[in-house]
Amino acid sequence: MVAIGLGAVRASSRGPAVLSSIVVIELLRGAPVVIYLFWLFFALPAIPGAPQLPSALAAVLVLSFSQGAYGSEIIRAGLQAVHSGQRDASLALGLGPAVRFTRVVLPQALSQVVPAFGSLSVDIVKMTSIVSFIGVQDIFYAANTARSATGDTMASYLVLMLGYVVLCLIVAAFFRAIEYFLPVRRAQRAAHERRFPLRTKVMSTR
Amino acid sequence: MTWDWSYALQTLPALLGGVLTTLVVTVLCAGIALLLGLALAVLFKLLPSGVGFVLRLPIELIKTLPALVILFFGFYGLPQVGITLPALPLGVIVLGTIYAAYCFEVYRGGFESIPQGMRDAAHALGLSRFTTWSRILVPMVVRASMPALLNYVLVLYRQSALLFAIGVPVILTAAQVVGYQYFRYLEPYTLAGVIYLVSNIPLAIFLRRYEKRNRNAHV
Repeated sequence: MVAIGLGAVRASSRGPAVLSSIVVIELLRGAPVVIYLFWLFFALPAIPGAPQLPSALAAVLVLSFSQGAYGSEIIRAGLQAVHSGQRDASLALGLGPAVRFTRVVLPQALSQVVPAFGSLSVDIVKMTSIVSFIGVQDIFYAANTARSATGDTMASYLVLMLGYVVLCLIVAAFFRAIEYFLPVRRAQRAAHERRFPLRTKVMSTR
Repeated sequence: MTWDWSYALQTLPALLGGVLTTLVVTVLCAGIALLLGLALAVLFKLLPSGVGFVLRLPIELIKTLPALVILFFGFYGLPQVGITLPALPLGVIVLGTIYAAYCFEVYRGGFESIPQGMRDAAHALGLSRFTTWSRILVPMVVRASMPALLNYVLVLYRQSALLFAIGVPVILTAAQVVGYQYFRYLEPYTLAGVIYLVSNIPLAIFLRRYEKRNRNAHV
């Protein structure tokens, strides 16, 4: 169950690099995710030659593509947020395009992108609740099974809610940890340490 | 099985009925979300800073839970403790409240963006607290937050598809019902997707135009 959620998260992190065209992004964002899910699972097999996808595969495909569209916008915004002077400066230093991107632009863009991806991933965790409609056995599906087995709706759903809160907290904490190790944040901390050596010592013992 | 135009035409009236419900639901939800969000944000600003978390905590909680889970909780869970609501009002209340939590954050950011001098000026003019809030601070915040808020309305329009899960006759529900009648899902689902896509375009264009006009008005 958790693996499905994580799989969707990971796939969407890679998706945006592929989906760069505006048309594709707008198409993916234009209609509700549920529609795409139902279309892929129920309508597509009706076309001759089209395969009946397993429900888990259909779910991961739809979630990663639609959230990948949002992710690509985040990447775009992050890259645009890097000051153009940085690019000019690396051109003036005679850096090649590859070095320019990997050593100058990308590290700075990441400081913007990673927090946004954190909230996107929390969104994806929440979004996974819809996959039980096509029979994927996620935590929502499990709660519904528990509900019909015990007849105690309140308890099953309260546990389910707790499960989602814990999942989202884990994902959020994971991204906060990544953020901590970003190059820009490391540089900021180092600069801070050089400027206020005493205060940093106090902070680090805290 | 291939695409059948006459069947597609046959399903169209049902789907268009779904469009109407979707629009009604969106407008009602947006009303709740925009007003409740504003009320919460104003309340948050009026509360002393130590007590603010009483408001923040439930709002954060609502934002962490999937809309679908809250919907099911309301629809199947609440009757167990004696609260039974029909699907449509329940769906509107749930979605409206969830997006009120998101709008709260937008408004809160808007309040942060107002310079302190504005408040000082109102104070210096001898305006009462109520006048300061209702005539100066709130209108400024609403105007500053408008683009983000309208974007949420657009998201709300798409999210209303989730209400099919509790049987509110939105576009997706209509597609499902028709498909079930004839055991053909290709046409209704495809048409439903196309309807969402096509109806999204004018809304998005309107939003972008509004945003542009507003930005010019500020300069």
